[in-house]
Amino acid sequence: MLTPRQMSRLLIVASRDQLDPVIRELYRSHLFHIEDFVVEGREGYDGFSIGKPLPGAGEVSTDLVKVRTIENAFLIRPSEIEPTGKHLNAELRSKIEQELPAIEHELGELTGRRSRLEVTLKDCEQKIAEILPFTEIPMDMEMYRGYAGLTVLAGYVSKEVNIPEPSEVYNSAGKARRFIVAVFKNDRRSDVDRVLLEATFQAVTIPVESGMPRARIDAYKEQIAKVKAEIDQINRRLDEIRDRHREFLVACEEILKADIERAEAPLRFATIGQTFVAEGWVPKNRAASLKDALNGATGGKIFVTELTVGEHDPVPVEYDNPSFARPSQLLMDTYSRPKYNELDPTIMVSIVFPIFFGLILGDVGYGILLLVMCLGLRKFIKGEEGQQLIAVLRNASISSIFFGVLYSEFLGFPMPWPYLLPSRHLNIGAHATGHGPNIPGLMMMAIWIGIVHITLGRILSMVNHSRQDHGSHRVKAVLANAGWILMIWGILFLIWSMFPMPLMPDLTGLPPVVMGLNVTAVIGIAALVVGLICIVRESALEIVELPSIFSHALSYSRIVAVGLSSVAIAMVVNYIAIGMLISPQLENITLVGVIFIVMGVLVFLVGHALNTALGILGGGLHSLRLHYVEFFTKFYKGGGRKYSPFGLNRRFTED
Amino acid sequence: MVTEVAAAVITDVELMKASQIGMKAIAAAIAISGTAIAAAWAEMAIGSAAVGATAENKDVFGLVLLLTVIPETIVIFGLVVALLLIF
Repeated sequence: MLTPRQMSRLLIVASRDQLDPVIRELYRSHLFHIEDFVVEGREGYDGFSIGKPLPGAGEVSTDLVKVRTIENAFLIRPSEIEPTGKHLNAELRSKIEQELPAIEHELGELTGRRSRLEVTLKDCEQKIAEILPFTEIPMDMEMYRGYAGLTVLAGYVSKEVNIPEPSEVYNSAGKARRFIVAVFKNDRRSDVDRVLLEATFQAVTIPVESGMPRARIDAYKEQIAKVKAEIDQINRRLDEIRDRHREFLVACEEILKADIERAEAPLRFATIGQTFVAEGWVPKNRAASLKDALNGATGGKIFVTELTVGEHDPVPVEYDNPSFARPSQLLMDTYSRPKYNELDPTIMVSIVFPIFFGLILGDVGYGILLLVMCLGLRKFIKGEEGQQLIAVLRNASISSIFFGVLYSEFLGFPMPWPYLLPSRHLNIGAHATGHGPNIPGLMMMAIWIGIVHITLGRILSMVNHSRQDHGSHRVKAVLANAGWILMIWGILFLIWSMFPMPLMPDLTGLPPVVMGLNVTAVIGIAALVVGLICIVRESALEIVELPSIFSHALSYSRIVAVGLSSVAIAMVVNYIAIGMLISPQLENITLVGVIFIVMGVLVFLVGHALNTALGILGGGLHSLRLHYVEFFTKFYKGGGRKYSPFGLNRRFTED
Repeated sequence: MVTEVAAAVITDVELMKASQIGMKAIAAAIAISGTAIAAAWAEMAIGSAAVGATAENKDVFGLVLLLTVIPETIVIFGLVVALLLIF
């Protein structure tokens, strides 16, 4: 629960001819996290070298590359496909031999044709663009070329051009740029060039065509339409093939990937002579069963032993949480996976995160909207992480509904029962009446939550240090954390003894004992002094962190602040939509009034949709931040390695 | 005569109360707007760096999201002060 799963370190030694059965068994059991063998720097591994892959790895790799190429061409992603049934391995292997080359051939042919057609398409579009300027000049395209003594120039000029030499010039109309075609004798070239240069002439290549420009463009357009139709046909054909073979292809990929992983496993083992050695990690409670299975698979020709786990060994970390807390592992992984000898706070996050989210959003209407959204999205979002995120949001939305009932809020409207938590109802609008929000009550509630959360973080830190550290450092670290707790509560006691506050015990009335201070104040000061000594003993630099006692506790007031802003937006939307637009028109319905009512409904829908989105962002991010910054910094470091056992979760295939 | 003076005094008192409420509202507005600008300014720099870092390496998304929301505290404190001023 509060710690990662216990792991055992296994050492497997066997002769090389047992490689295949051992790897098969390890792969099937999906339990063994292989510790990759590195040639240099391993104690006790002198003379060992990395193993060689099993025979056949090369061919399988080629097949896998083929399958992945086909999948890429069809835009198939295995993670997005829901398996309808399982393919049998043996059947698949024979199909790979027969069908894969056929599919590859057909795909190659179709995509080849498609790319040729696409080139033609580009070509035609290019030609149309080239001919387009000439459409304004009613002349056959053939007339532009084939002269021995004449030069034909076409291009754009910035002003009208008058060529004094004997020539023929076609000027098209246009304000900024004019298109001209000039025909003149070859020996006048330099004079014409000069005139054209003055008009900033930009030459255009004259396309080699025959026929009137318009007719040529129409012909090319017709060709484009034909090519497009053909490409569509090829795409439809590709879609058909894709739909027919999709499951077969992902099953192929799975089986080939498994083959490759198995074939390449010896690369992660150490070998010497005819012996190989594999080291790795197995969950403690499964170690015995894996040993038995390996003995069974090799007929006892294997030596398996459990090694002692050293304190600084890089043990891979697997979460060990009850099912309701598992989705929150996503939030933990986003920060960092816990280390093996560290407390795993997932279960606390899974409980406290929804509570914070609910306290911030706290509205029955938004909660129901979110819940419906989560239930709807569950079918469309694929992949483990997506599902975890949906589950986290679902829990948060249920919590929002619960706190909405306590706050008595529904889309910003009050519910028919009184609020059980301090009120968040604002007075919005000219005629609003009521008490308004109970800000001091809400603030104190948030700060209480902060104090409890931070104290919990410090207690967890004490546990962590007592587990991880040794000797005098351990005592100092544990005491320093106790010192922080004493400081927090010392300050609280001092405040209680001086100021009466809502939701806090009023101890101002106690009789003074020393220097006008009452007994609570004395306890507070004593706690402060002892706490400070404990902190300084570990590290004097920590003194600069003292203001964080206030800033972190006050940071929890975001629970109120973000929540109130969400309530305010909801109430403003309601006031504009109903109070200002809809209800005045309902008294006397006119045509203009109907328009106002429609506008009011629009404002209502858009406003609340926006506020729901803001609520998810605000509620989610801020409660996450309270965990990451205010809670985790007290005790949590993270940085654990993920436990990824050798093997595959097979989705599409079975033996 | 006495009633006139009394009426004048009452108006003055009402005026003073009203202006006090107004000053409180202005103070709250300054508190929230100043901190909001500060938070936005801080997040501007962090946000652009965060997007850059995420583009380089997707794994840091969680961390940079965290870094981006850190200055939100400024505006939250502003809101707290504003709320305490008004209510």
